[in-house]
Amino acid sequence: MNAFLQEVKDALGRNDDFFVQRQTLLEQQVTIFGFATLVDVTSTLSIFIEQELSARASLMEADAFWHTLGTVEETNVRTAVSAIQQGCVILYLVDRNRMIVVDAAQKELTRSIDLPSNENILQGPSSSFIEDIDTNIGLIRKQRSAASMRVRTFATGREQRKKLTLIYDEVYAEPAMIREMIGQIEDHSDMEINHIQHVSKLMGFPKWQAIPKWNTTELPQEAVSALLKGKVVLFVDRIPFALVLPNLLWDMFALDNDRNYSLPIMVIIRSIRLVGVLLTLLAPGFYVALVAVNPEVLRIEMALSVAQSREGVPYPAIVEMLIMLVILELIIEASARLPKSIGPTLTMVGGIIIGQAVVTARLVSNLLIIILAATTIANSTVVGFQNSLSIRMFKYVIVILAALYGVLGIMAGMVLLSAYMASLRTFGVPYLNLSCKKGEMKHG
Amino acid sequence: MDKSLHVGLTFFLTQLGIIFFIYPEHIIASSSEGHWLPILAGAAANLIVMAVYMKGLGYFSNQDIISIYTNVGKSAAVLFLVPVIFYLYMVNVIAVRAFAEIITIVFLSNTPIWAVTGLLLFISTYIAANGIASIFRTGVLLAILFLPSIGFILTISFQNVDWHYILPLIEKRFEFLTSISYMKSFYVFATSFLFLGFVQPEITYSSKKLLLAALSLIPFLLLAVYIPVLTFGRSTASTFKFPFVMLVGTIHVNWLMFDRVTLFLLLSLITFTMLFIALLIWQMSRMISRPLPKVKPVYLLLFISAVTYIGCIMIPNWQDVEELFICNMVLRIYVWLIIPFSIYFLGLREKRKRSYEPT
Repeated sequence: MNAFLQEVKDALGRNDDFFVQRQTLLEQQVTIFGFATLVDVTSTLSIFIEQELSARASLMEADAFWHTLGTVEETNVRTAVSAIQQGCVILYLVDRNRMIVVDAAQKELTRSIDLPSNENILQGPSSSFIEDIDTNIGLIRKQRSAASMRVRTFATGREQRKKLTLIYDEVYAEPAMIREMIGQIEDHSDMEINHIQHVSKLMGFPKWQAIPKWNTTELPQEAVSALLKGKVVLFVDRIPFALVLPNLLWDMFALDNDRNYSLPIMVIIRSIRLVGVLLTLLAPGFYVALVAVNPEVLRIEMALSVAQSREGVPYPAIVEMLIMLVILELIIEASARLPKSIGPTLTMVGGIIIGQAVVTARLVSNLLIIILAATTIANSTVVGFQNSLSIRMFKYVIVILAALYGVLGIMAGMVLLSAYMASLRTFGVPYLNLSCKKGEMKHG
Repeated sequence: MDKSLHVGLTFFLTQLGIIFFIYPEHIIASSSEGHWLPILAGAAANLIVMAVYMKGLGYFSNQDIISIYTNVGKSAAVLFLVPVIFYLYMVNVIAVRAFAEIITIVFLSNTPIWAVTGLLLFISTYIAANGIASIFRTGVLLAILFLPSIGFILTISFQNVDWHYILPLIEKRFEFLTSISYMKSFYVFATSFLFLGFVQPEITYSSKKLLLAALSLIPFLLLAVYIPVLTFGRSTASTFKFPFVMLVGTIHVNWLMFDRVTLFLLLSLITFTMLFIALLIWQMSRMISRPLPKVKPVYLLLFISAVTYIGCIMIPNWQDVEELFICNMVLRIYVWLIIPFSIYFLGLREKRKRSYEPT
């Protein structure tokens, strides 16, 4: 057997889905091979035969015919293997010792474009990104057909070549930032990418960051609006959402779809989100501070009613608060884990625990339940799930500081948070910037 | 990069953070009537000094004041900057200690003072450690978060005002000029603008906008003094330690569920003071790091705040804070007058030198 064939077989032959098929096309021996699980073998072969027939009918030369199938290349095992892994077939011309990489008919392995599953959209375009990177880029091109949009694709990794696509708009994006990003990707192109933390490492972001450097979105509309703000959209193959770089503070409150409403309504919606964030951060802290450290701040009637609701609760406010916050986190985490059919059980049990039983058993106060519920609801008003995770985490810092220093602690926590946010930069863009458009970098 | 807004806002906030505490007391003590005159005179003097300072800095568009002095000579740098370091250190200790004291008096009576001091210094050091651009951005964020509450409190603080107390408008003997309290009141101005000399060349600003920020502080200076005077009358107000804080304590708003509005005023002002302390620590670290380039700035910051912490703990009570405040006065006048004017004259010299060079 031929050396090239043998080498390819050595590399891939131990897979049971590897197929090798001999065929005669235009009186020449060819060997076709690939993965039967990635490629639809029957239709691929029938396409070859059809093309052969039409070539015969038009009296095409064999050389010209090979070129209609794909580029005729020198045999190269590495190229062949990686092409096969990406779902191509190799057509090997035995007599001439040449190979052709052919885009074969694919097995249907990606889902079709669907409604967004992690983001809700009200009265807006609701197709969402999927795992296939080309479809995603196509969705963006469909949403915005402008000549100034640039799509740059990179492949990273040594074992597997993972596709990574950077999209930006030349008119709006800051050239220095783009250059830095592309340089960063090209410098680390041998890094393996399997999940988002890898991407973060590839981009050279610090590991310990409480606020993500990017915003994730499933919606082409949001991705395109980010492009228009001078941001960069990053796609990774098999990851069904876009990473929008850089993430800015204002993205927590603004959604492009808000602009589908009239201006006053947009302002109101956004200020509700602002209130939501502040409430999430402050409400648990205020409860702890006002109950345990600074009750004198409250009006006397108010202080008395708070004290009354805590009558019989056996432990300090901070313990009470932390216990219930942790239970709430558990409920949120568990409902994300469970299959959809068992989910409602959890909601019911959780609802009974937090709603009624703990209060009746005098384990926590009524007021705390109200605060917790308000906090959880408020937390969900933030745009972007990742942002809501960050906010969820910061609230603990403030609760603990509040337990130590009362109202002063809350304020100290806010200052600390402000300082932390102020210190963040992504590719030279401060987190507090309102925009990262060309020439508008000074705000924030 | 032009960051006038950031710089101006930070300047505004750091000033605002200190004017509501001891300043009214000093002004009220300095003159028996017509307080607007000493306030405006002080503010005008400060505007002139600031303008001179910025004019002087303008001659060296890409140097901070440390390089300006070092270029003149090592001994000049030592002569001018060592007092500044001492002064900033003392201001820092006084500020941290005074605020810790106010906090424990007003709302954390059970918390030991070392814990409050530690918190104030920790946060300020953290802000400072992120660098000057971050300090400014923090300032902007704090302004957005806390300025509204200051505005609200200033508005409702007119609740018990009796406008008759505004008379007599003019005091003819100018007794404030000779009053020691009036000299003390200049502490408000002496430190805040110094940082303008440190931010070049990374950050530029327009001096006009900075003067505008200083100008916009004048209403607040007037309010800080006049609202207590109008509410209590001059003779009562002069007996209080912190007249404005006292005044806010008397406010009663029916629909607010909080009994003590003072708290919110204090908290907002304390955030601004943290920014102020962060700036002080940052300036000191800049000055100390020049002769010690090998030491990481973060360690210097930690060292400075540790020393400040020790200084704060060493002060046993409020009397000593006041004494320190008086000791500081000579240095304050030095920093407030000598530094800006020396920069100005050095600038003039530089300009003359440059005009000779081409010929």
